[in-house]
Amino acid sequence: MSTFDIKNTLIQLCGENGVSGDEWNASDLALSMLKSYTDDCTIDRFGNVIGHVGERDENKPTLLLDAHIDQIGLIVTFIDEDGFIRVSKCGGVDRRVLAAQTVTVHGSKKIKGVISVLPPHVKKDGDKVAQIDELVIDTGYSKEELSEIVSLGDRITVDNEPAVLLNNRICAPACDDRAGVVCILYALELLKGKATKYNIDVSFTGQEETGERGAKIAAFNLNPDICLEMDVSFAYTPDSEKHKCGELSGGVMIGIAPSLSKRLSNELISIAKDKDIPYSLEVMSGETGTNADAIGVAKGGAECCTLSIPLRYMHTPVEVVAPEDIEAIGRLIYEFAKEGEVSAL
Amino acid sequence: MTELIKELCALCGTSGDEDAVRDFIISRLPDDVSYKTDALGNLIVEKKGKATPKNKVMLAAHMDEVGFIVNYITSDGYLRISSVGGINPETVIGRQLQFRNGTRGVIGTKAIHQQSESERDKPVKIGSMLLDIGAKSEAEALEKVLPGDCAYFTGEFLEFGSNGDMLKSKALDDRAGCAVMIEMINSDLPYDATFVFTVQEEIGTRGARAAAYTVAPDYAIVLETTTACDFSGNEGEKKVCEVGKGAVVSYMDNGTIYSRNLYRMAFERAKEKNIPCQTKTVVAGGNDSGAIHVSAGGIETVAISAPCRYLHSPACVLSKKDMKAVADLAYEMYIALAEKE
Repeated sequence: MSTFDIKNTLIQLCGENGVSGDEWNASDLALSMLKSYTDDCTIDRFGNVIGHVGERDENKPTLLLDAHIDQIGLIVTFIDEDGFIRVSKCGGVDRRVLAAQTVTVHGSKKIKGVISVLPPHVKKDGDKVAQIDELVIDTGYSKEELSEIVSLGDRITVDNEPAVLLNNRICAPACDDRAGVVCILYALELLKGKATKYNIDVSFTGQEETGERGAKIAAFNLNPDICLEMDVSFAYTPDSEKHKCGELSGGVMIGIAPSLSKRLSNELISIAKDKDIPYSLEVMSGETGTNADAIGVAKGGAECCTLSIPLRYMHTPVEVVAPEDIEAIGRLIYEFAKEGEVSAL
Repeated sequence: MTELIKELCALCGTSGDEDAVRDFIISRLPDDVSYKTDALGNLIVEKKGKATPKNKVMLAAHMDEVGFIVNYITSDGYLRISSVGGINPETVIGRQLQFRNGTRGVIGTKAIHQQSESERDKPVKIGSMLLDIGAKSEAEALEKVLPGDCAYFTGEFLEFGSNGDMLKSKALDDRAGCAVMIEMINSDLPYDATFVFTVQEEIGTRGARAAAYTVAPDYAIVLETTTACDFSGNEGEKKVCEVGKGAVVSYMDNGTIYSRNLYRMAFERAKEKNIPCQTKTVVAGGNDSGAIHVSAGGIETVAISAPCRYLHSPACVLSKKDMKAVADLAYEMYIALAEKE
């Protein structure tokens, strides 16, 4: 159907730093990819990538396709006398996975470091996982040298070389939510040259992980009628509870929630059934914990639905997604944009 | 030396699975040595020097690294693993592991959003972890991995920090010691010496026990890496030893009370030759010395180690400067012991 390479697009996007509030590198790359589908696109003052795709028709409602561009990470809060870096969290970092991780400090140049940990020879059993302010990052520089390279407020990412597992499953840092960006790019690829029922806007927004802040700004400016939010959700692993998760390789997780538009959810379910797109339902009881919460109430409000990508090991450096799930979401966006019956209220 | 350490660290060889490391070392042996591999897999190399020493000196470093072994494959295609050697479980979760056939897997956790407050503070035990290679079924997993296969830490070998003096890798313990010995074997030596690349150090210094009996030297020099905790938060003696402050010579660890004579001799030699040298301020850990010094009727032993941060993790860190000090002091001690009256 097309030559769009989901796997490599995702791996490429996961290779750029975009810790919340410092999304510029990731946004630049996402913008360059979006340019294959529209010239009318830019990065706003807050790091959000904004694009308008296709011809505009005043009589058509506006459909916003949103995914967040930022990722969780660490932020430099102090450089101590011995040249070790102290940090705080940007977003919901899982402290249990940090010990002895190799990191990149995004200073005036990129430098490497290791998060300190006691070895088993001297560690006591029963020790609790270190609090974030107990961690120190070892860069091998003295304080004087380090101060030339690193400033307070610089971001730190945990390194993880992307890997392709069996069944083409992809392990990479920041799959949350670069996978959502890929869903949108893939949908735009499918929509190339096709007539749509909506004016299509795209946003890859910043600071989702620290409180959906980029989406508040982007949605106000774009003022969509309808929004599809592509973010990751929990794929079942044996340490979690089945009823709280979707399945990796299970297709798109279509959201149903009091904060989402029921008629939009129903329409998407019906299209998925019609077009044989694998899907499951993700039922939430209030807000969704995604940008849809912010976009839904921006300006005069918008009808939203979440199309979630099942992901294992969320907020660890080894997040895993399946390309067929991204494909399913891209196809569902495509079918909805082409044929969706939900009009502006 | 750095290039050699890098090549050695890239190899995967945990206890009982050391053959790739041994084959590499054999490929780096010069023509003027004789060597044999014993029943356990120890590689014993005899190097002729210009003269016969007064005493037979054995140098030893272990080839094995800490790693994992697959115990069981679940019906939905996950692997259950145990650690081979002592590994802090916190350095296992949230990263990739590799197999020697190239298969990759990840060890994750349910999302932080789904953890209770108490779960967030509690390290996950290795026995509860699942290694995910992407398989959808037991049968699919079995095409790539069998129970008993070993898995290994991953991660890029790095030179970082001031002037790139720091090295970061898995398996620096004890490929660093192996590298020092390979370089010595490839140089012209004044006296005959025996070099032993041991197996199964990490599960109880088992290889060294057999090798020391076979070689039965007068003196032994163990080349190792040892725990440095010299990062912020640890003061005074809790630092154990410090990266950048030279070779570490121990007086005692959990396996050995070292020969006082050799301990003193090491510091004297270091001072004489201006080789930076320090000791450990905590009695902890252990190495092949524990097996060697009680072998064959007793062998006086000295351990010379590179101070290494985050030992037994995927990101061990040591300094090139310290590696030079270890190599220099190892050479001086070999001469001193070969000539000792």
